[in-house]
Amino acid sequence: MIRVAAVGDVHFSDTPDKKLGEYWSRLHEQADLFLLAGDLTTHGGLDQARALASQLESVQVPVLAVLGNHDYHSDQSDRICRLMEEAGVTMLEGSSAILAVNGETIGIAGTSGFGGGFAGACGSAFGERAMKAFIHHTERLAFGLEKSLTEMKTDFRVALLHYSPIKDTIAGERLEIYPFLGSYLLAEAIDRAGADLVIHGHAHHGQEKGVTARGIPVRNVAFPMLHRPYAVYDLERNPAAIAISSESDLVRA
Amino acid sequence: MNADYQYLVAKIQGALAEDPRVNMLDIKIMVIQNRVHIMGEVLSEERRAAAGAVVSAVAPGIEVRNELRILDVSSPAEPEVIID
Repeated sequence: MIRVAAVGDVHFSDTPDKKLGEYWSRLHEQADLFLLAGDLTTHGGLDQARALASQLESVQVPVLAVLGNHDYHSDQSDRICRLMEEAGVTMLEGSSAILAVNGETIGIAGTSGFGGGFAGACGSAFGERAMKAFIHHTERLAFGLEKSLTEMKTDFRVALLHYSPIKDTIAGERLEIYPFLGSYLLAEAIDRAGADLVIHGHAHHGQEKGVTARGIPVRNVAFPMLHRPYAVYDLERNPAAIAISSESDLVRA
Repeated sequence: MNADYQYLVAKIQGALAEDPRVNMLDIKIMVIQNRVHIMGEVLSEERRAAAGAVVSAVAPGIEVRNELRILDVSSPAEPEVIID
């Protein structure tokens, strides 16, 4: 079993959040790794990233993160990533990281993702350059996510996003803004590649739980919705699948 | 909502999103008579006060009812088991 803690949308200002810090310092009692699902800062300020980095010093498990739309606002995303990396956080964008925990492996594939909407009511790469660029951006990020997930040969695979891949977990938000909250292209990529869990944030008024069309669990961990310092998901192998796998090994031997 | 109120709501929404003291996209805004109500949850008292100040600056002469609440953080919940 691998225990995954996750939260998104902490929107740090220039000063550390003591209350969150107290909870995070004890996170290792419940989890083996900690995922941050974007919107680390209020508007992508370096002082805000520093405040978060300082708060994360007390976390005793590996921390992995993606950026969110707020983190891009000041056009300093590269510097934010460098600053977070210097603080020991693994930043993901179209990339992945593999960790070994208690004899099992877990791969995290990360991207901010982007918008576009959901099947039946989504944008298309058609018309003005700006519109085509909007959709192509999401397509590129979805492609990178699929590639990262496909390449990982680990016991568990998790997709870490900021934007939502499905509608279920943004239910509660106004319908008019759905295209700015996520894209089905992300879910399609995840369903093609396969994963055990999808984590995202961004939808402050959404729901925690949903599934992709192929049944992969999706969890919205936006802090303003959770009202908790993080959520924890215990990933376990299906005993039946383990038995089948062992049998196959015996046959091969 | 009359046309002027609609544009005022949009103007306030834009200001709350873009002002570096606030940068919030999900504050609910209602204009009733000559009052602006702002509702929702924010992470700190500083941001709550800043949101009120931003609205006052954008809508001078209009009463601002700041009904924003500070987000309440509870303890971490029990883990959810997800079987592969």
